[in-house]
Amino acid sequence: MWETWLWAWCPKESQKADEYLREIQELGQLTQAVQQCIEAAGHEHQPDMQKSLLRVGLEGRAGQGWEGGGMDSWGSSLCCPLALLRRLPLETSIPMRVRRVLTARGDGEQGKYRYKQLTIQVLLDRYGKPRAGATLPPLSTPSHSLLYPLAIQICEYLRLPEVQGVSRILAHWACYKVQQKDVSDEDVARAINQKLGDTPGVSYSDIAARAYGCGRTELAIKLLEYEPRSGEQVPLLLKMKRSKLALSKAIESGDTDLVFTVLLHLKNELNRGDFFMTLRNQPMALSLYRQFCKHQELETLKDLYNQDDNHQELGSFHIRASYAAEERIEGRVAALQTAADAFYKAKNEFAAKATEDQMRLLRLQRRLEDELGGQFLDLSLHDTATTLILGGHNKRAEQLARDFRIPDKRLWWLKLTALADLEDWEELEKFSKSKKSPIGYLPFVEICMKQHNKYEAKKYASRVGPEQKVKALLLVGDVAQAADVAIEHRNEAELSLVLSHCTGATDGATADKIQRARAQAQKK
Amino acid sequence: MAAHLSYGRVNLNVLREAVRRELREFLDKCAGSKAIVWDEYLTGPFGLIAQYSLLKEHEVEKMFTLKGNRLPAADVKNIIFFVRPRLELMDIIAENVLSEDRRGPARDFHILFVPRRSLLCEQRLKDLGVLGSFIHREEYSLDLIPFDGDLLSMESESAFKECYLEGDQTSLYHAAKGLMTLQALYGTIPQIFGKGECARQVANMMIRMKREFTGSQNSIFPVFDNLLLLDRNVDLLTPLATQLTYEGLIDEIYGIQNSYVKLPPEKFAPKKQGDGGKDLPTEAKKLQLNSAEELYAEIRDKNFNAVGSVLSKKAKVISAAFEERHNAKTVGEIKQFVSQLPHMQAARGSLANHTSIAELIKDVTISGTTLASTMMAPRGTSEDFFDKLTVEQEFMSGIDTDKVNNYIEDCIAQKHPLIKVLRLVCLQSVCNSGLKQKVLDYYKREILQTYGYEHILTLHNLEKAGLLKPQPGGRNNYPTIRKTLRLWMDDVNEQNPTDISYVYSGYAPLSVRLAQLLSRPGWRSIEEVLRILPGPHFEERQPLPTGLQKKRQPGENRVTLIFFLGGVTFAEIAALRFLSQLEDGGTEYVIATTKLMNGTSWIEALMERPF
Repeated sequence: MWETWLWAWCPKESQKADEYLREIQELGQLTQAVQQCIEAAGHEHQPDMQKSLLRVGLEGRAGQGWEGGGMDSWGSSLCCPLALLRRLPLETSIPMRVRRVLTARGDGEQGKYRYKQLTIQVLLDRYGKPRAGATLPPLSTPSHSLLYPLAIQICEYLRLPEVQGVSRILAHWACYKVQQKDVSDEDVARAINQKLGDTPGVSYSDIAARAYGCGRTELAIKLLEYEPRSGEQVPLLLKMKRSKLALSKAIESGDTDLVFTVLLHLKNELNRGDFFMTLRNQPMALSLYRQFCKHQELETLKDLYNQDDNHQELGSFHIRASYAAEERIEGRVAALQTAADAFYKAKNEFAAKATEDQMRLLRLQRRLEDELGGQFLDLSLHDTATTLILGGHNKRAEQLARDFRIPDKRLWWLKLTALADLEDWEELEKFSKSKKSPIGYLPFVEICMKQHNKYEAKKYASRVGPEQKVKALLLVGDVAQAADVAIEHRNEAELSLVLSHCTGATDGATADKIQRARAQAQKK
Repeated sequence: MAAHLSYGRVNLNVLREAVRRELREFLDKCAGSKAIVWDEYLTGPFGLIAQYSLLKEHEVEKMFTLKGNRLPAADVKNIIFFVRPRLELMDIIAENVLSEDRRGPARDFHILFVPRRSLLCEQRLKDLGVLGSFIHREEYSLDLIPFDGDLLSMESESAFKECYLEGDQTSLYHAAKGLMTLQALYGTIPQIFGKGECARQVANMMIRMKREFTGSQNSIFPVFDNLLLLDRNVDLLTPLATQLTYEGLIDEIYGIQNSYVKLPPEKFAPKKQGDGGKDLPTEAKKLQLNSAEELYAEIRDKNFNAVGSVLSKKAKVISAAFEERHNAKTVGEIKQFVSQLPHMQAARGSLANHTSIAELIKDVTISGTTLASTMMAPRGTSEDFFDKLTVEQEFMSGIDTDKVNNYIEDCIAQKHPLIKVLRLVCLQSVCNSGLKQKVLDYYKREILQTYGYEHILTLHNLEKAGLLKPQPGGRNNYPTIRKTLRLWMDDVNEQNPTDISYVYSGYAPLSVRLAQLLSRPGWRSIEEVLRILPGPHFEERQPLPTGLQKKRQPGENRVTLIFFLGGVTFAEIAALRFLSQLEDGGTEYVIATTKLMNGTSWIEALMERPF
């Protein structure tokens, strides 16, 4: 029946066609009819006939009783061609393309209905994408460029997600655009960006790769400017031998791994001088490369510092070298000398002087080892002096202190600690009387108590100045006297300190005394 | 198992589950039995994501630590290397692969880079001739690891050094990636604020990365209202000061690693009568510290001086609860009592542990109270702790910051630990906007003479990081900053705090003050100070589709994600939690950082020992 309807259709007999249509519908065969109409159109080679078939199909769709839901049940395969057809300007040569589209997967008898399986994406790709080897007419013809807006309309009509729909069409369009050799790079790039903007899912690097494939490197570079994914952008730039540009793009991305990759590429590509110059203009890359060299190529690191006249870092470099590479004392001293020179150049007089002191100390330590035996090398100055005192070489320790200008206060601490460690109480007492202690006498009390020598500690407690007297007396356990001093000082903090040291059993009287003094102080 | 992660305002378990899923998917790609070869540094952070049981479920039968030479024997089909992308590790892996016994059964090699695959490393493997040996080379983007219901860390110990000393921004890139992951799970964060160079860069990277992802529109309703990015070098002061919260002190004294602490075992010995203390345990007591433990959640952020009273109150409550058993007369009552028993016993165990820890801390911090203890250890650790604290507080309140300090001098003369000395000298320098050249040189010379000339490298590093420096032009900006931001509070209440300054018993952490002022009344009020502090401050908006814009209910708090680039201390975290809990605070904080740290671990990371 529907066949009759189909063949009866012609412009002049549309009324008749309608009747047929109703009949078909009553028979519940509309769906099938439309489907076959379109299929037939696909197989028809004559444009006129094609037009007719398609119109029938469309009318069948638009006609009475075509349930909207039917679209869904047909799935995307049919809905798509239908949607497509509805908007096709039939007066152009488009039906030809439609035919190709629809039959693309449906050649031969077996594939009769296969367009159903034609996914929207494939359809769009066929429509929009100029594929090498495809049997489509040359795409540079104006008529085809007209198809892109249409395809986009189709996508919008179908409410396809951007990534699957519009983006793809735009990307295809852009790829077609880059092949327009008569348009300048600038114009092409601008045109593409104007259309594409930040459309999600558009890969500028894909488009750029195509431009590069067509021999338009400059255009490719311009297009890559719009690529937000540096992971895509940078490798292509490297492939196009635009390593320096790749470097700045990698830096912009903040992806240090990408920067390293470009750097190693550049290192192989450029001679050393050019490579260093490139680094010089890129501080971020330079610091990364320095880090790399610190672990991998120490000599290069030195060259980098030299190039930048970075004497401070050169100094540190040689300090490290003096520990790492050299075993012999002469070698170490030489490395330190180089470091000191660098520090002077860096106008870091402090570091230079300190390094010279270190050289002096190293030489001295070697001499001490030769003369006295034992281990001195690489002890700190402080520990060298302590070792000397512990070994009974007080004179040498004092000489050392003078040579290196150890401040008096620290020297006193040093001697005090060492002598107490030796438990040389006699020498300690002599030392304490050698002159007025610059650190006071509380440390003497403390250190004696640390060695559990209360007897010695008491000697010094009496010499502690008034400010720390209470503390000292408490340390040696003389709570009663501490209380007297605190009361005499009328110092509340001291009073409570003493009180906190009073144990109920033995210091009851003292505690009472303090409480009385307190009460009296409050009265005043 | 990780329920405590979901207690906060933002359910961080979602993140944990996401990273666990990713791990499972990777493991399942390598079909058959497996052995994992670990970059040792990763095992701690991984422990917070997946226990051995998860690995076992996916046929992981053996685990090794990555080291040179040949791999230990293991009868497995797959060998998977879990590594950070570091060149030196690639060399070791290559050694492992090359020395593989060719006669043995063929095994498949795989690499999982954490947190990012690296072209540089793959190139190195290629140069070493082993790249082709790996079937799967993938990345596991474990950037931010959930530590607690409101706390995320990248646990990147070298981040500060890399960013501020070496000009290596790798960790900033990872931070930005981590923030993108968070946004994918918790929605786009509509507003970004920041202060500092690194903050600016992370924000730039985020905006850039967002462009890369334009295809997939984020349709998740945003959980975070704001992101605040803060450079550590905006506030170099805070980590140098000794933290005085309970958790902060545990970290200062014993060091908390990946939420675990190791403690001297003596105080944890089971108390048995007649044992005579013969079998004291020798192995350190290892405890996990997080909010899963009710008591710990309650006391961790309190000033240590307020912990004792909580513990004794708790002790009374618990013993009263146990006493209840005498009142339980009927079968029903007894039943009810028994059903509560496990919970009560857990509470009692927890109380015992924290009482022991508090005692340990007290030994270090509270001045010798009895004559006996003073006799035993004259000028003991506790007295010294007090002296040190006094000096710190003087510096922070602006007293005598411009001359050589006696206490520091004495510390050097007595050769106290170098890190302690460096912390103090740096603190003085920061509190004085740099030291007078003469004072600086004096300290430096004293340190070199006492501890060794090799430390010239460390001193240089500290200067480069801005922790130690000569005062430029004799101008001290710190008083202005201190007054404007109210960094020093004289009337601090440690028991019932009214201000964040309780976490340092007087000093209000600068970083947290910045966050507080941003939320109310806004940074416009402190423009002058912001200009003094290093780096730019900025604001960015990430537009949301109208459907995702939030309509806040009256009284509903905003949620701010605050990201410390270069590390954060537990005391700062405590201060932020304090602000979150304020009734009219208006803002709740989720904290993220490159590393959980304290002054000691911070200085340690900046030290350089050439031998």
